[in-house]
Amino acid sequence: MTGAATRAEALLGALRRINRGVAILVGAGLLACAALVLTDIVLRQVAHSLGGTDEISGYVMAIATAWGMGYALMELGHVRIDILRAQGGTAIRALFDLFALLVLAGTVSLVALKAWPVVERSLTNSSRANTPLETPLALVQIPWFAGWIWFALMAWLTFLAALVLVLRGAFDAADRAIGVVGEGEVTE
Amino acid sequence: MISYATLGLLGLLSLSIPVGIVLFLLGFGLDIFFTPFPLMRGLGNLVWSTSDNPTLIAIPFFVLLGEILVRSGIATRTYAALDRWVSWLPGGLVHANVATATMFSATSGSSVATAATVATVAMPQAEKLGYDPKLFSGAIAAGGTLGIMIPPSINLIVYGFLTQSSIPKLFLAGLIPGLALALGFMAVTVLICLIRPDLGGTRRVFPLAEMMRALVQLVPILLLFTAIIGSIYKGWATPTEAASVGVAGAFVIAALFGKINAGVLSQSLLGTVKITAMIMLVVIGASFLNFTLAAAGLGRELQDMLGGMGLSPLGTILVIVAIYIVLGFFIETLSLMVVTIPIVVPLVVAQGYDPIWFGILMIVLIEMALITPPVGLNLYVVQGARQGGRMSEVMLGAAPYALTMLVMAGLLIAFPQIALFLPNAVQ
Repeated sequence: MTGAATRAEALLGALRRINRGVAILVGAGLLACAALVLTDIVLRQVAHSLGGTDEISGYVMAIATAWGMGYALMELGHVRIDILRAQGGTAIRALFDLFALLVLAGTVSLVALKAWPVVERSLTNSSRANTPLETPLALVQIPWFAGWIWFALMAWLTFLAALVLVLRGAFDAADRAIGVVGEGEVTE
Repeated sequence: MISYATLGLLGLLSLSIPVGIVLFLLGFGLDIFFTPFPLMRGLGNLVWSTSDNPTLIAIPFFVLLGEILVRSGIATRTYAALDRWVSWLPGGLVHANVATATMFSATSGSSVATAATVATVAMPQAEKLGYDPKLFSGAIAAGGTLGIMIPPSINLIVYGFLTQSSIPKLFLAGLIPGLALALGFMAVTVLICLIRPDLGGTRRVFPLAEMMRALVQLVPILLLFTAIIGSIYKGWATPTEAASVGVAGAFVIAALFGKINAGVLSQSLLGTVKITAMIMLVVIGASFLNFTLAAAGLGRELQDMLGGMGLSPLGTILVIVAIYIVLGFFIETLSLMVVTIPIVVPLVVAQGYDPIWFGILMIVLIEMALITPPVGLNLYVVQGARQGGRMSEVMLGAAPYALTMLVMAGLLIAFPQIALFLPNAVQ
C-alpha cells in the first residue's frame, strides 16, 4: 500500500476511535436521562414530581441524535439498499459507495447549514422555552447544531479518505470504511 | 406527482444512497417542483422539532434494554429454555426462534431490536444442528416483527402520538393479534416441515424435569414485561416513561446474574447510539418529506383518487391494504408509517372505522413490509448476524411468514374484534 493510502487508513482509524468516544458519552447521557425519568416516576408516587423531565428528555434526544449520527456512519449503521450495488465488482461497488457518501455529505451539510438560523434566532431573541423550566433555547440548540456540523465534517473526512483509498486501488480497505454491512461479513 | 415521487424514491434507493438521505432528497425535489413556497427555509426548524421530542426517547431506551438483555446473556438463557419446550415440534429450533422473538417483543418496543436479539443468539445454533438456513433465518426475521405488535411498541407509540389515540388502548389492542401471529408462524412452520422434513433439522425431546427447570429461566423476562406494562396500566408512567422502567429492570436482572461490567455497559451503549442514530436519520428525513408532501397537496391528490373511485368503506380499506403492500416492498417501515398516517388515517376514520383498530391493521401491514424485499429492514438485520450466506436465502425463508401476515390482515378486516375485544373489555 502506498504512503497516501496508509495515511488515509490512519485517518479513518482515528475518526473511528474518536467517534467511539463520542458515542460512549452520548450513551452515558441517555442513561442519565433514563435515570432522571425513573426518579421522577418514583417521586411522583411518594411526593411531588421533579417537573420538566419531559422537556429535558426532548433536549437529550435532539442532542444525542445529532452526535450519534457520526458514529453510526463510521460503523456503517445508516441503512442502504444493496440491490444494484451488489451486482457489481469491487470497483463498481466502490463507485456506488463513494457516490452515496458524497450525496450524504452534501445533504447533511445542507441540513447543518439550515440548522444555524434556528440557533441564530434563539440567540438574537434570547428565546426561552415556553415551559416551566424556561430553558434558554440557545443553550440546548448550540450543542444540537454542533452535532450536525460534526456529522457533516465526519462525512467529508471519510469521503476524502475513502476517495484516496479507491484511487490507490485499495478497494478492500475502502469497502471496510464505506461499504455495506451484509453478505459474508460478520457483525457483532 | 404521486408517480414522480414513487419513481424518484425507487431510483434514489437503488443507487444505494442511505434511506434517510433519500427521503431528504425527495423532499428537496418536491419542494423545488411541486410547492408554491420555498420550504427549505423551514428545514432547520423541522429537524429541531422532530428530534427535540420526549416521546421518541422511548426508542433509545427500548433499544438499550434489548442490548443489555443480549449482552448479559439473558437472551441466550431464554432461548435455551424455550428450546426445551418447543423443539419436539416438526421444525424444532425454528419454533424457539419464534417463541423467543415473542417473549422479547413483550419487553422490546422495536422489531429491529427483537430480530437482532434473536438472530444473535440463534444463528450459531442453526449451523451446528443442520437447519435449512432459509427457513431458520426467515423465521427470525418474521418473529422479530412481533416487536412492534406485542406491547410495548415504538411504532404504536408513534401512531398514537400522530393520530392522538390512546397509546395504552393501542397496546392492549395489539396483544391478541400479536400472539395470534406468533401461533400462526408456528403453525406455518409445522406445515412446511411436515411437507419437507429435511428443512427442519433435528427434533429433540427433553425430559419433563429439564423442561420444568428451564421454566425458571423465563421468570426474569416475564417480570420485566409485567413491570413495563404494569407501570403503564397502573397509571404510574406514560408508555414512554415505562421504557426507563424497562431499562432499570434489565439492569437489575443483569446485575443479579452478575453480568454487569464495563465491557457490557459500553458495548450496550455503543449499540444503542448506533441504532438510535440510524432510526432517527430516517425519522427526520421522513418528517421533512411528510412536510413537503403535505404542502404539495398529496393528501388531496390521494383523497381525490380514492374518492373518484366511488368505493364502499370496505373497498377503501382493501385499496389501502393493497397500497401498503406495494409501498412496503420499497419503503422503510417507520418512514412508511410516518409518511402515510396523516393522509390515510383521516380517510379511514371518515369511513366510520375505529382508529385503534386501523392502527393494529396498519402494524400488521408494516410488519409485512419489514420482511418483504428489497427494502425489509429485518431481512438485513438477520443477514447481518449470519456468518455468510446469501441475502436471498433470508428473503425466501421469510416469504411463508409474510403470507401468514396477509391472512392475519384479512382476519382483522373480517373480525375487528380480534383487536378491539381487549381494549373494550378493559374499559
